[in-house]
Amino acid sequence: MSKKQNESKKDHNISLLVSIILVFFILGIIVFATSKKITTQMAASATQNLHESLDLIECTIEVILNKEAEYQRRMAQGIASLENPEAYVLHYEKSETMVKLGLIRSGEKEGVCSTGEVFTEEELDFSAGGTIDGLPVSRSYVNHMGTWAYCIKCPMIKDEQEIGTLYVEYIYDTFDKSLPNGFYNQQAMLYIMDAESERFVLKPKGMGERNAGHLNLTDFYRANDIQEPELREEVEDCLKKHRNIMFYHDIRNKDSLNYMWAVNGGTLYLIGYVPIEAIQQEGRTVNQNILFVVIVMLTAFFLCCGLYYLNQRQQIKLRREREAEREISNRRLAEALQAAQIASNSKTTFLSNMSHDIRTPMNAVLGFTTLLSRDADNPEKVREYTKKIMASGQHLLSLINDILDVSKIESGKVVLNVEEFTVNDLVSSVDAIIRPMAEARSQKFLVEVTGIRHEYLLGDETRINQILINLLSNAVKYTQEGGTIWFRMTGLTQRSDQFERIRIEVQDNGYGMTKEYLETIFDAFTRAENSTTNKVQGTGLGMAITKSIIELMGGTIDVFSEVDQGSLFRVELEFRIPEVHTEPVKESGPSEESVQDLTGLHFLAAEDNEINVEILQEILAFENAGCEIVENGRLAVERFERAKKGEFDAILMDVQMPVMNGYDATRAIRALDREDARTIPIIAMTANAFAEDEKEALDAGMNVHLAKPIDIELLKQVITQYTKHTEE
Amino acid sequence: MKLNKKSSFKKWGLLCIAGAAAFFIAACGAEGGSGSKLIVMEDEADREVYLFSPMEKTEANVENVARSAADKTIMMAEEKLGVSVRYVTYTAENYQDKTYDDVALDRARSDMDDIYLLNPDTIRTLAEEEKLQDLSGLESAKNLRDVVLAANVVDGKLVAIPQEVVAYGLFINKEMFDQYNLTLPETPEDFLECCRVFQENGIKTPVGANRWWLETFVLAQAYADLYNGGNTEAEIAALNSGEKKYSDYMRPGFEFLQEMIDKGYIDAQKAYVSEAIEGEREDFLAQKTPIVMAYWGAANAETAYGKTDFEMLVIGFPSSRGQMPVMPMTGLGIGAGAKNGEDAMAVLDVMISDEALQIYAETNRVISPSKNVEVECVPALKPLNDRIQENVYVLGANAGMHVEQWGNTCLIVRELLNGATVDECMEMFDQLQEEALKK
Repeated sequence: MSKKQNESKKDHNISLLVSIILVFFILGIIVFATSKKITTQMAASATQNLHESLDLIECTIEVILNKEAEYQRRMAQGIASLENPEAYVLHYEKSETMVKLGLIRSGEKEGVCSTGEVFTEEELDFSAGGTIDGLPVSRSYVNHMGTWAYCIKCPMIKDEQEIGTLYVEYIYDTFDKSLPNGFYNQQAMLYIMDAESERFVLKPKGMGERNAGHLNLTDFYRANDIQEPELREEVEDCLKKHRNIMFYHDIRNKDSLNYMWAVNGGTLYLIGYVPIEAIQQEGRTVNQNILFVVIVMLTAFFLCCGLYYLNQRQQIKLRREREAEREISNRRLAEALQAAQIASNSKTTFLSNMSHDIRTPMNAVLGFTTLLSRDADNPEKVREYTKKIMASGQHLLSLINDILDVSKIESGKVVLNVEEFTVNDLVSSVDAIIRPMAEARSQKFLVEVTGIRHEYLLGDETRINQILINLLSNAVKYTQEGGTIWFRMTGLTQRSDQFERIRIEVQDNGYGMTKEYLETIFDAFTRAENSTTNKVQGTGLGMAITKSIIELMGGTIDVFSEVDQGSLFRVELEFRIPEVHTEPVKESGPSEESVQDLTGLHFLAAEDNEINVEILQEILAFENAGCEIVENGRLAVERFERAKKGEFDAILMDVQMPVMNGYDATRAIRALDREDARTIPIIAMTANAFAEDEKEALDAGMNVHLAKPIDIELLKQVITQYTKHTEE
Repeated sequence: MKLNKKSSFKKWGLLCIAGAAAFFIAACGAEGGSGSKLIVMEDEADREVYLFSPMEKTEANVENVARSAADKTIMMAEEKLGVSVRYVTYTAENYQDKTYDDVALDRARSDMDDIYLLNPDTIRTLAEEEKLQDLSGLESAKNLRDVVLAANVVDGKLVAIPQEVVAYGLFINKEMFDQYNLTLPETPEDFLECCRVFQENGIKTPVGANRWWLETFVLAQAYADLYNGGNTEAEIAALNSGEKKYSDYMRPGFEFLQEMIDKGYIDAQKAYVSEAIEGEREDFLAQKTPIVMAYWGAANAETAYGKTDFEMLVIGFPSSRGQMPVMPMTGLGIGAGAKNGEDAMAVLDVMISDEALQIYAETNRVISPSKNVEVECVPALKPLNDRIQENVYVLGANAGMHVEQWGNTCLIVRELLNGATVDECMEMFDQLQEEALKK
């Protein structure tokens, strides 16, 4: 589908491109044709203009010549009528046009001249037969002024008889003023040529370049490299026939239009050339303007195309970005959904497991309680049943503790209690717990500690203990009987003098784990096998708690495992090295040695729960101890305030109570103005079992913190210890 | 980043609008767009100066260096002064035509032009007729070399100033000399011997000549001692007073020429009707003639001998004092009756300024008349230049001599070419000296 769409899009683009090229091609042809047409028309017009200009110059010169001839006729007539024409000639002063006069009487060969010399016709050549307005004109010559001149002769008639001839010398320089000053912006060259001698007799000022051929037609041909015999022949033929001609020929590497224009019936010629670029300047300017407009329009068009293209690209880019964002968002949503589903599934599984795990000991508790009521008379069975009820209760308790731990870690409320500890103590305590478990399953438990440089380290020993016991108890649980468990602690290279790096490895050759399970081993609410099908009991939270604590300590945990081969857990932790080792103050904690009988002791107990009250009363009664119960903290304070000195050996204080809680009550008691207010042991007995709760209890002034359910043996130890202290 | 793009778009947009507005204003403001039906044309009153000068017969697509050099200085003057210099040229078609000098004299006498480029003899003639203005007041004249002043001062007036110091010499085909193991001639005897060897080796006419420049041979031999003997002023004074005769100086040169003609080393008939360069150039370039004579600038101009297919050297004319350059002074003079005299003076002042002469000398590779301008010459001219730098030369014209030398000697040499004897030629000199003494 997508491929088809792409092909269709490609075809569409190609046809669009072809259409654009076609439009431009047609536009180009139109512009070219228009430009060509303009060029042709302008060229024709320019040639016509040149033609007309040359005609105008020709007419101007002819008018001058005719006027000169006409004037000379009248002058001849006037002189003829004089008594002494020679005197007139001799006294004539040259004008700008007529620079010399000569007169020869009829029948004579010599005459007078305005310059005072003897005048003869010998130096003048009228053989060409040229005339101006019917008067013979001589071949051009360089006169006494050093300039090109011509002579017109006119008969002098007196009384209808020719008495002589008047010769008048004219100079070509006089034409200069009547000719255009600058021809085609001074790019054209114009000479006047005497046709008979082919000499250039005038180069009008402002005409042409300074270094062209000026001498004669041959020099003109040579200077301008007009050497083609056929062309020369045609030109010569036209000159002989006194025809006007134009021909194209390069002049000094410029395409030029050459012209030869007959004046006065061919006695004179206008010779010259004009570069084509000069006569077609207007056409070129028009074409340049057309080209400019076309370029501007094309530029504008391509600019618009460019802007459109940029805009499209921007739009496509934005669309793609939006699509990408949408895809990412969808993927995240899908992932979140999947995660939620997994979490939901995990929790469902967890709840199912919990339901099973809680119901199993609960079943035991309730079952054995039923059996207990039935066999109450049989002490042996009663002991057996209560022992099993106790075991099931313990299991339930550990289950609840784990759940609470996970919940607390996940909510980020766990605070590490960093204190000094020794590796030896740590290993010993772990060994003391695990070794019996391993031995119970006929497993070998091998402990190895190497390379640890410092014995004393700073860390939360309880939590480290928790990690090790979790890992090792799992190893015991998931290793078949007779298997082996290795516990290794190795000192690694220190990164800093202030920290000891320790690698802890727990290895077994037990059941191992599948790859799939390894991926989720550290997730909460997962377990290697469903507890319904597995003999091994557990909350499935141990590894999640372990990993969370390790990460809280800044360490790492890795696991390697193969089914039926065993597993290896590798933990790396860094512990701060204490600057100064301080000997731990030996706490006067409870010891078994100090456990005494409670007989005769009398307690004040603050407890709002009736069952707990009953249990407490029964336990204490069983131990031959007395107990007075109050329902809340305030009553406990009031009762103690009223009590005589030594009436109570200790106060057993619940924490969560109505009216006044245990902490406030303790503070109130400690604050009482009694001598024993500060010394009477106050023992917290509460379901608030966390370390923080213990700390708060101690801070409030209690002496010790016991978590519910109450371990009667522990209670006895504590009471014995604190009552003994008080006595001392 | 976006802001920059926006700003850039704004800039381009504003630029486009500004450009369009400029076009619109330019189009509306163009001539003819005002809507007025009346067009008044101003009559431009040009300041014009007419310059009369010769013009070589040109060849297609060949740059005339000498002309270009002069053009550059004229354009400089036009630009600086706002005047237009109009060229008036004349070139004789053949020997039957009036010569350039004749036409120059006629035009100057008729006040046809403002500035004239004149040969030494016409300078002298026109100066004597007081047809030339005194140029000594020009600012640029202060920079002129002494030799230039000496050649152009007549009756205390500086009547012409050249743009280059023209030196004439023998242009020889060095390769042909080497081919026949000939050393470069120093004396007339050496020269005759070279010609003999060339002739014996089939070169019928070893010396190409024209009707204008053969007098250089005569002048070199005539005045080699006078100008280089240390007694120049006294000898010129003796000539002017009539104590010594010009013919005595001239005779050895004429006899030498006669011998050359007699032995066929020079074709007298051809020379008599040949124009300068035109008559002998073709054979020299074709290596048919090993020796011609010409002026310094011809070695630089492609229209003359600026581009040869062989090694060319320019040496002095043979004389008793060795190779001798002959230096006539062509110069620019201003007509006494010039219609645009004031502008002509200003134009000439620019044309001979150091700045203009520097351009001229660099373009044309010539010796400048200004003391302040020096340029290197082309290698071919080195032998001739070395002699000039040693102050060994003969002046082709000297305003201090009462008999004009350059033109008169040229004309009398033509008589020799036309068949006159040496004695007849010497008589002509004597006659000229007598006429000069009478003035």
